[in-house]
Amino acid sequence: MGEILNSLPIVAPLILVQFLLMIIALISLIKAEQTNGPKAMWAVIVIFIGFIGPILFFIIGRRQY
Amino acid sequence: MQWITIFKKEILEDWRNYKWIWVPLVFIVICIMDPISTYYLPQILESVGGMPEGTVLEPPEVVPSQAIMMSLTELSMLGVLVIVAISMSVIAGERKSGVAELILVKPVSYFTYISAKWAEKLLLVFTSYLIGMLASWYYVDLLFGQITAGQFFSLFFFYLIWLIFVISLTIFYNTIVKVPGLVLTLTVVTIMAMSAINQIFSYRMPWFPNSISGHITKMLMENSVPNALWGAVSITIILSVGLLIASNFILKTKEMAD
Repeated sequence: MGEILNSLPIVAPLILVQFLLMIIALISLIKAEQTNGPKAMWAVIVIFIGFIGPILFFIIGRRQY
Repeated sequence: MQWITIFKKEILEDWRNYKWIWVPLVFIVICIMDPISTYYLPQILESVGGMPEGTVLEPPEVVPSQAIMMSLTELSMLGVLVIVAISMSVIAGERKSGVAELILVKPVSYFTYISAKWAEKLLLVFTSYLIGMLASWYYVDLLFGQITAGQFFSLFFFYLIWLIFVISLTIFYNTIVKVPGLVLTLTVVTIMAMSAINQIFSYRMPWFPNSISGHITKMLMENSVPNALWGAVSITIILSVGLLIASNFILKTKEMAD
């Protein structure tokens, strides 16, 4: 337990950045008029496939044109 | 100035599709992931279990320069993939949708169009890469030991040349094909082929663009810039400029043919 508490200041920023990425992907998902594939599917991907999920959404999921 | 207008339009577009937010965040994760997980490897193995009784887990012996090179290794895979993915539709997408025609019927030169887009992507990648590597520097300093500012910035600028080449190559394929997915495939295949060539002929061609990160490792260990690194960097810059000029030429002939 002590070890976990000690490592918290080091690991916390990494978790925070990934969390931020997920939130921004979700905001972008909600605001998007159209996505490639159902929005619900993208929500699941963004939330459950940590780190890679949001990237996939930004690259493939958002319809650019 | 037309150039500034296109440049600003690109920044605005990337701001609206959140690239200016997510790309830096992704680069931070890419850069700090490996140094952190290497540091905690013994604890991770312990908590996963499955080790025979009495196994003594020694923390891996990693020197600071090795730790910061881990960030570059991740960048050359995931980072390059992200760079190619964010620039795969920069011109191809506009040609497909017809926006490129709208811009290019105006008295805008092809070179202005290409170079403004190239510069904007470069600015985005540069910013993300800088933030990511600064984060990595902080962690390596904290967990493994000192990296001097001189070491850090020489590593940073030499590797940046490779990233510039990746952007130029993506822009080049953007002018050849109109389908963004195909741009991604062609660019990644080219980089992989180059990396294979580099591995086979590394002794005969120490100046090959893909050898930059290898030379950087050497530079960090010996604390001096190897001559081959200068050679590789010069070749990479020449190739990047060549690719941009070729893109200009290809776009010109293609658009006229349409």
